[in-house]
Amino acid sequence: MTEILIAGERLVLLPERALWWPARATLMVADAHIGKGTAFRALGVPVPAGSSDDTLARLAGLLERHAPRRLVFLGDLIHARSAREPGLMQRFAALHSADCDWLLVRGNHDAHAGEPPELALTVVDEPWADGPFALCHHPAPQPGRYVLAGHVHPAVRIEAGGDRLRLPCFAFGEAVGLLPAFGQFTGHADQTPTPGLHLYACAGERVLAVPHSSARRRGRA
Amino acid sequence: MTAPPSDPPAPEEPTREDIRRVVASSSLARQLRAARARAKPSGAAPRPRRRAADGVLPELDKLLSRISALYDARGWQAFAFQRTVWAGLAAGRSGLLHAGTGSGKTLAVWLGALQRAAAHPADGLQVLWITPMRALAADTALTLQHTVRDLDIGWEVGLRTSDTGSAERARQSRRLPQALVTTPESLSIMLSHADARERLAGLAAVVVDEWHELIASKRGVQVQLALARLRGWNAGLPVWGLSATLGNPDHAMQVLCGDGGLRVAGEIERPVKLDSLIPPRIERFPWAGHLGVRLLDAVIAELEASRSTLLFTNTRSQAELWYQALLEARPDWAGLIALHHGSLAREVREWVEAGLKDGRLRAVVCTSSLDLGVDFLPVERVLQLGSPKGVARLMQRAGRSGHAPGRTPHATCVPGHGLELIDAAGARRAVAAGRIEPRTAPEAPVDVLAQHLVTLALAGGFDADALRAEVMGCWSYRALDDATWAWTLDFVTRGGAALQAYPDYRKVERGDDGLYRVERADIARRHRMQIGTITADSTVEVRWAKGGKAGGKAGGKTGGAAALAGGRLGQVEESFVGRLRPGDCFLFAGRVLELVAVRDMQALVRAGSASRGTVPRWAGGRMPLSTELADEMRHLVALAAGGEYPEPELQALRPLLELQARWSALPGQDERLVERIASREGHHLFIYPFAGRPVHAGLAALLAWRIARRAPATFSLSFNDYGLELLSARPVDWVAEVAAGLLSEDGLNADIEHCLNAAQLARRRFREIARVAGLTFQGYPGQGKSARQLQVSSELLFDVFTRHDPDNLLLQQARQEALCDELDVARIARTLAELRSATLRLTEPPAMTPFAFPLLVARLRERLSTEQLSERVARMVAQLERACDGVRP
Repeated sequence: MTEILIAGERLVLLPERALWWPARATLMVADAHIGKGTAFRALGVPVPAGSSDDTLARLAGLLERHAPRRLVFLGDLIHARSAREPGLMQRFAALHSADCDWLLVRGNHDAHAGEPPELALTVVDEPWADGPFALCHHPAPQPGRYVLAGHVHPAVRIEAGGDRLRLPCFAFGEAVGLLPAFGQFTGHADQTPTPGLHLYACAGERVLAVPHSSARRRGRA
Repeated sequence: MTAPPSDPPAPEEPTREDIRRVVASSSLARQLRAARARAKPSGAAPRPRRRAADGVLPELDKLLSRISALYDARGWQAFAFQRTVWAGLAAGRSGLLHAGTGSGKTLAVWLGALQRAAAHPADGLQVLWITPMRALAADTALTLQHTVRDLDIGWEVGLRTSDTGSAERARQSRRLPQALVTTPESLSIMLSHADARERLAGLAAVVVDEWHELIASKRGVQVQLALARLRGWNAGLPVWGLSATLGNPDHAMQVLCGDGGLRVAGEIERPVKLDSLIPPRIERFPWAGHLGVRLLDAVIAELEASRSTLLFTNTRSQAELWYQALLEARPDWAGLIALHHGSLAREVREWVEAGLKDGRLRAVVCTSSLDLGVDFLPVERVLQLGSPKGVARLMQRAGRSGHAPGRTPHATCVPGHGLELIDAAGARRAVAAGRIEPRTAPEAPVDVLAQHLVTLALAGGFDADALRAEVMGCWSYRALDDATWAWTLDFVTRGGAALQAYPDYRKVERGDDGLYRVERADIARRHRMQIGTITADSTVEVRWAKGGKAGGKAGGKTGGAAALAGGRLGQVEESFVGRLRPGDCFLFAGRVLELVAVRDMQALVRAGSASRGTVPRWAGGRMPLSTELADEMRHLVALAAGGEYPEPELQALRPLLELQARWSALPGQDERLVERIASREGHHLFIYPFAGRPVHAGLAALLAWRIARRAPATFSLSFNDYGLELLSARPVDWVAEVAAGLLSEDGLNADIEHCLNAAQLARRRFREIARVAGLTFQGYPGQGKSARQLQVSSELLFDVFTRHDPDNLLLQQARQEALCDELDVARIARTLAELRSATLRLTEPPAMTPFAFPLLVARLRERLSTEQLSERVARMVAQLERACDGVRP
């Protein structure tokens, strides 16, 4: 487990690509893109089933381990309207328990996908102020608050000894912190650590701070 | 011609102003202006002027007399091979006509097809002419149309490619011309329409142009499948292939025509002159300078001596560098020299081609983008910069010159370093001996078959058993087994094998009448859009950022996002742009460009402010050395080992080769050389199989892995076209390792999969497969929402399939392609076998030998930046020169 201090609050970066805020017993995930495979199949692209259920299983494990009082989705929870297959939505809804509130900060996909009635969700628009944080989907800075957001699907390439890896990561800048995409069937956008941007890679069972030197170097001409 | 000094002083860095001046006046700026001016009035396809095209041919004997009158009027003689083709077509036979360029192949087949059509009068489309390149299609259509005009017959020659405008398409959908020039992709799209049979069943003949370019590719398989469909409607349909000289013409004919084809060799082989630009002084320790342009002065002298020259490079980055270097050396040539490669915008390329045709351009630096195409009469000379890598390629490139009357093709190899003179001499000897590389059709690619099934399901539906029989008529699917066929059918109907059926998936559906059809319009539209993109790699358009000129280097993400897209410069691979950040500079289209922003599959750029940009390294740049050329080179080295230096190139290399023999050895025909050298870096093991870079890369990893398996060790690897190097902290006991099975064939495939990260390569191969099989889509600007939802990277799909559907045949295909095409396991195995059976020459030289030195430099290059490298290499060369006898060669 990797802990960082942001805006005076202790945050725990979980290798399952989620963020744990102990002071508020809040679990945050971004970009779950539930039902993406379903949406592809509905449009005639043969993608195997199973990735959404993997994502849900990971979420169930987190809920069990941390017993949060609140679960926050930082946008792009459901991939598309056609992704709301009834069976899948029911399996998703079954993860809900009475002592945990679910909050969705609306992202670009959610606007098109609509709100699934099966899920007991409170849906809000960004920025959603919470303590020192502004909970968002898009990573635009907000005056007076530190932004926690998704949308970007940050990842980092690490090279060492001829070996190369690309790992989803957290990216914390001066005013905005990015969560990795939680969904299994999601793409990534590469980030480069700089003095103002700290990256934490989700490497299997651990979260590792990425030193500036070990990430792929891109020399400026 | 001035001799390059032994230690070239670092060329003076041009200032930013120099670069700006040169670039602003460069031909590219003019190219773009001219291209833009031209783009407006003329349409994409030069529609041949229509004259009373009533579609009626004269009777056969009248046509024949007009043909002979035309020949008489031109003073031509019909060649015997032309008469053979005409007789074959008259008898309804299929066949392959292979000959060098400019030998009258087109006319032979075209007149034969006209004769056949005249003997069997019919309405509608009569002759289908398939060509691999859009650029070639327009010129071919014009050539065919000219003959029609000269013979005064009422035929129209039409053109249908992805460039064909909607008005022309609409006209064609009302009534097809009598002859149609098209590409494999456009033919497939025609086959996807319900009226395909009605429109294509009456063909008198099909011609496949440049078949050697298609046969070994998936597009060639697409042609095979389309021909099977046409033959299904018209059993006796004659199909003629035109091809350049090939190592295996019988196979090429079998794939195209099936059994009973007629193979015709054009007897007029034009003499080809092949020579080398031999440097006045050859360094005994060769290394590829980072530009490889040390022969710049000599090249300029050659350019001055010819009216028009094509300079072929092996990679787009080399083309960009040479173009810059030429402009810097001869600023007065701005506007007279130009750049041409596949990433540049079509208008720019067309402008360059027009300039070559009318002789305005003195020289064009190009890549394989100009390997094919119409003949440029003014081109007198071809320079091949760097190793030709293959015999057929050098012949093809040489054939782009010397088309003017009384001239012969003339290609000159310009070696990037001394050893590349062996490549040039080897290529010339292989040409003389007729040892040309064979090209083999792919074996049963599942992705192309899946695409074809959807195509035919769109065209009114198919019966599964009938279609299977038809598909098995194609050479590539001659042994299609039940399991593969059933899986592919399942894949397009249910998404996968029965147990893996996806409940919410619908694409192809089986109707009550037993026919498989596509019912949904959105799937039909996407599929047709996709057929045209088989070959396109995932590319990003490079465009000027409008209003992005000001702002200097600080153009970060937010500033760039506001910029609008302006004029098009060309395309680069997504992976290259992915490595750049806004503000980074790169060299493209002869300019230094600064990236402003990337969005919607577009890279927005402005004029760069850096004095030098990084050069894009394009994915397609690496060309393997062909087996034929490698064999020839090994033979030449063996001759030198016996004291024979038969070619001028070898004469020039004699001092280098003699030093190699003195310090180590030159391997004879049945010998393989292994060198062991100890240095401050550690223990070096050099092996020289002369089998080409990809094979050496695989072999190096394999050997290192096998040695380390017996006793843990860490190796640094290096490889080039000639050999490989293993560097380790402790010495390798070669003899003991070989005895312990280092070169064994046992478990070879498993070992290679282990050590070469075959999974990663398969992931990469999956990119094309996913696109062909309809899993991923190219992003189009302005596409609908549903298409945007479908954007997914093939890498992500690969992972999802691996996890949730591991038996998917497309994954197996990716692994197979990675092993066979990418790693070339068969050639690695052959090289290992040669190492086992050959006599070992194990030497322990006193210092780095001329063969070893380039490998050493290649390894250092991976660790160091260019500036540090050149200094360090210069110092090493000086040390080595002191170590040998000090007599200048």
